[in-house]
Amino acid sequence: MKFEALCQSGLGSSFMVQMNIQNLLKQENVKEDIQVDHSDIGSATPDQADYFFLDPTLETSAGNLPKDRLIILNSLVDPNELKEKVNAILDKEGIEHS
Amino acid sequence: MALDLLNKQTVQVVDGSNLSWQDAIRKASQPLIDNGTVGNDYVDSMIDVVEEKGPYINIGPNIALAHARPSSSCKKIGLALMKTNHVVNLTDDKHPVTLWFVLAATDSNSHLGVIQKLSEVLMNGENVQRLLRATTVEEILKVFK
Repeated sequence: MKFEALCQSGLGSSFMVQMNIQNLLKQENVKEDIQVDHSDIGSATPDQADYFFLDPTLETSAGNLPKDRLIILNSLVDPNELKEKVNAILDKEGIEHS
Repeated sequence: MALDLLNKQTVQVVDGSNLSWQDAIRKASQPLIDNGTVGNDYVDSMIDVVEEKGPYINIGPNIALAHARPSSSCKKIGLALMKTNHVVNLTDDKHPVTLWFVLAATDSNSHLGVIQKLSEVLMNGENVQRLLRATTVEEILKVFK
């Protein structure tokens, strides 16, 4: 399983999201090996990850990525929103978490 | 620690009622120009990228993190913060901002420690509320201590 955080430049906010996801997976005691990485939206390809995290302003630039694997984060610094959306994926994929 | 980059010199509180979002980014960046961290080119590119790509630097409610790709006019890692007491709309009224962070990066990796620390502070809702309520530089710096 691989998650990719995307932002316009691949420098700032995508790394912030990557770290926040990694921290959350730890908090949720996820044992499964989930890779989390970040990059810029321009270079992202559908085979790069299983799920892509991005903010609403990027949705239109994400045309080449499958819609059902895009997770839109309205705030990049809201722990509750992130938890809700990551846990929804874990549940959907049958990955154990606390 | 990495957030020492935020200090009396790099943090400002201003009224903001007469600023455009471009003015706000310029004003928030001024301390980094003054201390030789970035040149005007870098500030221009932070503004250009929003004009071209939209307000993606609006990372959370009332929070913007202005940044652009590392360039030769970016001499070292830097972080600045300007609080505007009035909301300034970033491109439109769906993106009201009062906390204007400016990040200067020299390559793809060296600033990651700064982002990490900043993210830890901003992921705590109480800290964000304290920043949004702050009216002085001292109050802001206390949140990052």
